[in-house]
Amino acid sequence: MSEKLELLKKNKEKLIAGGGAKSIQKQHDKGKLTARERIHLLFDEGSFVEMDAFVKHRCTNFGMEKTDAPTEGVITGYGKVDGRLVYAYSQDFTIIGGSLGEMHAAKICKAMDGALKVGAPIVGINDSGGARIQEGIDALKGYGDIFFRNTLASGVIPQITAIMGPCAGGAVYSPAITDFVFMVNKTSQMFITGPQVIKTVTGEDVTAEALGGAMTHNSVSGVSQFISETDEDCITEIRRLLSFLPSNNMESAPVFQTDTDPNQMDERLNSIIPDSPNKPYDMFNIIKSLVDQEDYMEYLPHYAKNIITCLARINGRSTGIIANQPSVQAGCLDINASDKAARFIRMCDAFNIPILTIEDTPGFLPGTGQEYGGIIRHGAKMLYAYSEATVPLVTLITRKAYGGAYIAMGSRHLGADLVLAWPTAEIAVMGPQGAANIVFRGEIKEAKDPVATRARVIQEYTDEFATPYKAAERGFVDDVIEPSASRPRLADAFDMLASKRETRPAKKHGNIPL
Amino acid sequence: MKKFNITVNGKTYEVDVEEIGGVSTPSPRPVQRASAPAATPAPKAAPAPKAAPAAAPAGATGGETITAPMPGTVLDIKVAVGDAVNSGDVLAILEAMKMENEIMAPSAGKVVSINVNKGASVNSGDVLIVIG
Repeated sequence: MSEKLELLKKNKEKLIAGGGAKSIQKQHDKGKLTARERIHLLFDEGSFVEMDAFVKHRCTNFGMEKTDAPTEGVITGYGKVDGRLVYAYSQDFTIIGGSLGEMHAAKICKAMDGALKVGAPIVGINDSGGARIQEGIDALKGYGDIFFRNTLASGVIPQITAIMGPCAGGAVYSPAITDFVFMVNKTSQMFITGPQVIKTVTGEDVTAEALGGAMTHNSVSGVSQFISETDEDCITEIRRLLSFLPSNNMESAPVFQTDTDPNQMDERLNSIIPDSPNKPYDMFNIIKSLVDQEDYMEYLPHYAKNIITCLARINGRSTGIIANQPSVQAGCLDINASDKAARFIRMCDAFNIPILTIEDTPGFLPGTGQEYGGIIRHGAKMLYAYSEATVPLVTLITRKAYGGAYIAMGSRHLGADLVLAWPTAEIAVMGPQGAANIVFRGEIKEAKDPVATRARVIQEYTDEFATPYKAAERGFVDDVIEPSASRPRLADAFDMLASKRETRPAKKHGNIPL
Repeated sequence: MKKFNITVNGKTYEVDVEEIGGVSTPSPRPVQRASAPAATPAPKAAPAPKAAPAAAPAGATGGETITAPMPGTVLDIKVAVGDAVNSGDVLAILEAMKMENEIMAPSAGKVVSINVNKGASVNSGDVLIVIG
């Protein structure tokens, strides 16, 4: 018996040692943590339970039968994050480059199946050289199996991926299907084809970092929504994100105790909107005033900054916020902003996170660039996402809400449960200048002094229509409120809506204009 | 591969032009497409436009170029060549979408060049200012 126990201990020690001291040193020299260190940081101390550590590959091609790969290059299991069950897998670059073979993939799939069965979030930490070439199409099968499970789990459990090393070729599609992609600056890269292949095929010269580095994907492509400077920071952020999310689509996100008084008025909001409608202001100042502890977690902070998407808490409850940012590109809606908002709205809706929309946008950005790029198709996603959402939807209009953009930004007509407006709101079919050019064209043309007439009709239109009161008369806006009272009113609104139940016609699935 | 419509003696030919560059050049493909009007001699005279080598972005001499984020009018330029600026300083005001958008310095440096005048209309991507 004692011999057997001794053997077990020895076997386990070997499995835990990973790829050996030398390769672990190499990993550390690159500024990266090992797969096991990452797992230990992610989970509450002592809570991680490893599965399938004894699994071995069964490849006999190209001398692989002689290659020993402890844990098969990936650590899988479950544990607790802030006391809540979470599954995870972490690829080990120190073991044959973290390459993905048949059994490596089977381990990941088993963890995914487990997470889906019990309704727990799954965190995937990627650090892999790619497919294990020696295993041929068995490795490809592995990727396919993972993508399929990613898709089945989508909208059921939160799926978070952290890229903490290379992630190239087929490997990129699993993160892409998941809800959240984190990357670590300078040590992680994602691309379909690497710089060498690009050079030979198209002659284009590009570095790996410029092609698929963390900042590229966070600011240019929008593939990754979060960027961190170190592995440690990245894992801290993942834990923070999990605190905003429910464990699955049948639950609500955890409610936190808050020190912020829900009835707190904020006089600063009464003077935050500039007198001139042409002057920008920083929307973050409004968001900070509305959320608990002025604390919010931005989703895609470096991409399409003209729209803000973030997770925060109002009166302790997790809330997704979508807000136009007037200080970036006037807060207009363009292709990237629509895309960003639509994906965020659908994530919130899938995971029962109420949505607050804060609106101040001059409208959709005109131009050939936008039209050729398909702003109609991309803008439609946002309308679709709002209309489809059944979570509590509250909209606050701070200033401009004109035309199509008024409808798109969580209007009553797309299903908002409560719409509040500040007295500074301008809700109309079009701006005063535009209206003057069309509605009053004849009057201006025939006037003795067209310039003065134009100025007069613009002023008349502004006074009459560029206000929240026309919309309030119709009931499209539930109330016009003093800005300083926004926090109490919103906290109350989300409280009232907490038990909201709404259903949609039964269908296989909608056909969102992708 | 770029497509051109080339008119020779009043007849229009659709021509594919491939830019040849790099080491591993695929062998040039036939110029004439199957869809070219039948019974017409191959347009030997079709002048393949020699694409000039893509010029490096003008004015950019290693400094950071600040481009227009959207089409609009330059309302004001707040700096002069040689000024030292800090990250976040307002460099120019671009009026677009009826908003006076502040164009800010992404990093600290010296203003190397100002590429637009007050009142100029700019397109998205046009270089406004270079700091280095």
